Amino acid sequence: MKGEIQDKLPDWSVIVGTTEAVQLVKYLRDEEWKKSYVDKSAAASSAGAAAEPAPAPKKVIPAPPIVVNGPYMIDDKPVTYKGHDPNAQTFVTIGERIHCISPVIRKAMDNYDEAPILKRAAEQIAAGATYLDLNIGPAESNGPELMTWAVQLLQQNFNNVPLALDTANMAAIEAGIKVYNRTNGKPIVNSADAGSRIDFINLAAANDAIVFALCSADGIAKDNEERMMHCHNMLERGLHLGMDSDDLWFDPLFLVIKGMQDKQMDVLNAIKAFSDEGLKSTGGLSNNSNGMPKHIRPIMDSAMVAMCMMQGLTSAIVNPNDLRLMETIKSCDIIKNNNLYADSYLEL
Amino acid sequence: MPFAKKPQVFSAKINELTLGTGDKATTLGGQNVFNLYAFDAPIANRPKLGIDVSDDPEQPSEGLKEFYAGCDTLAARAKKAAELENVDFVCIRFDLADPNGANKSVEDCVADAKAVAEVVDKPIVVAGCKNTDKDSDLFAKVSEALQGKNILVLSAKEEDYKAVAAGAGMAYGQKVGAESAVDINLAKQLNVLITQMGVSGQNIAMNIGSAAAGYGFEYVVSTLERVKAAALSQNDNTLQMPIITPVGIETWGVKESTAPEEENPGWGSAEERGIDMEVETATACLAYGSDAVILKHPASIDTLARLVAALM
Repeated sequence: MKGEIQDKLPDWSVIVGTTEAVQLVKYLRDEEWKKSYVDKSAAASSAGAAAEPAPAPKKVIPAPPIVVNGPYMIDDKPVTYKGHDPNAQTFVTIGERIHCISPVIRKAMDNYDEAPILKRAAEQIAAGATYLDLNIGPAESNGPELMTWAVQLLQQNFNNVPLALDTANMAAIEAGIKVYNRTNGKPIVNSADAGSRIDFINLAAANDAIVFALCSADGIAKDNEERMMHCHNMLERGLHLGMDSDDLWFDPLFLVIKGMQDKQMDVLNAIKAFSDEGLKSTGGLSNNSNGMPKHIRPIMDSAMVAMCMMQGLTSAIVNPNDLRLMETIKSCDIIKNNNLYADSYLEL
Repeated sequence: MPFAKKPQVFSAKINELTLGTGDKATTLGGQNVFNLYAFDAPIANRPKLGIDVSDDPEQPSEGLKEFYAGCDTLAARAKKAAELENVDFVCIRFDLADPNGANKSVEDCVADAKAVAEVVDKPIVVAGCKNTDKDSDLFAKVSEALQGKNILVLSAKEEDYKAVAAGAGMAYGQKVGAESAVDINLAKQLNVLITQMGVSGQNIAMNIGSAAAGYGFEYVVSTLERVKAAALSQNDNTLQMPIITPVGIETWGVKESTAPEEENPGWGSAEERGIDMEVETATACLAYGSDAVILKHPASIDTLARLVAALM
């Protein structure tokens, strides 16, 4: 969400606060952002000063061909993707670090610069990520071309690592899926919701993809009754379109503890409700620790993931380079008997 | 309502491990269903039967003495055993190398192994004397001498996996058996450790322990079953190595097999009892997870071969 706003308002520094985040969906959907932007420009020009010149249109450069130069190395060790069995019961981690909010990644995507993207992919794969999220932002000028390039870049370099295609640009997702290799799992459409983004379920159905289904429509669901209503609404749509229920991964929407502490048990209970219905689930887990000191976040995220896995959470969008979190996930998979224990289980 | 058959076919499968070379080579594993569940999907390779031949000329039964009569060397006995139609591979065992026993030298063992390889064209499995120091040396030297024969060494244990994996697997490309004693977590851990040393998981077989029926055998069966369940239903590639189980050395060491008939007239013929114990134990192993069993008695091998043929 923040990325979308930033893309539309390139000269702004966007900070998402707790309360504001709740209103973002509405703000974007109703295009209020445009209104305020126009108002601001009008005010600026009426003042007559040479304030804020209109941003120059982004130069579109063509995607270069993909060249794979042997295995990617970290500390002289080749990084190879371990492979993934879509039927495995173990927790699925989706690495969140290729995201156009990051200035480094944004710049790399603007210039089709492979190195920063490959570096983050390699770091996440080496840390044990199952999927990688590929967030290209709205990419209005070159979405399909950028997504096609990035999907091939990552899959060709890393043994067809499975990907979550993360953008509001539907044409870009479709273009990405066209070149996507399914060896290690279906592509994920990130994401649909029960409101303005419900058509992303149709997009996933038409392309035999998995879809993240955010259980909210206009802002955060007020309680679990509403969450489950959205869940069933999206499930019904997916099934009607011929999807397998396993291909809809429901997101309860993780809420920030600093500000919404009283809602945490609701989120956990929603996960239990998904699980009781045999549904898969996911979410941006680290949102719970947003705004906390850096050294606290891995602790809080680990506690959260353990409680979520107890409730039946089957996947999460996480930073796989958070060692404490990854060790917690592996340990929970052992306790849940999803994986047989061996002394070296943390290394696998 | 008609019965709708739902085959339990997994997306995972057991690794295929080929022993020996040429047209006598034999392949273990490869199936994507539980052992012997040929009704769920065709079994890639039927379970394999090996014969256990020791360098110790002593035999546990009259029948075996008769069978090996006139065979004075390990090579002669191995040749005789390999000629049995239903034997897929020959396991030569260096019992006499034990430093606490006859302490036969590694050089003599190597000479024996070479002599066996001269006269046996079926795949060869090499078992040691169970002394880890001696076995590490023995396996490395025999692996060197039998380079290119694609043998399997039994086994690398927690105490000596480094030396065995390096000496047999990495240096000479032989197949490595990973041995644990009815400990499913150690079975997995050994595979991980041997793989981390650089031996491909495709070149590993597991011996996860054995016992004669009635001697804690339910733990063996439960371990076999759980390993196969994790390998197939959880697609755990650290447990997808085929399982090879030495049965004969266990069953021919218990009193039910060896007590003379004079001592227990009610028990009947010792020979028959011994064969029964071996057949029963091996059958249960094959049913629960072994991809190969190693037996001693020709009559047991014939019985198991008929059983397997009937089930495939």
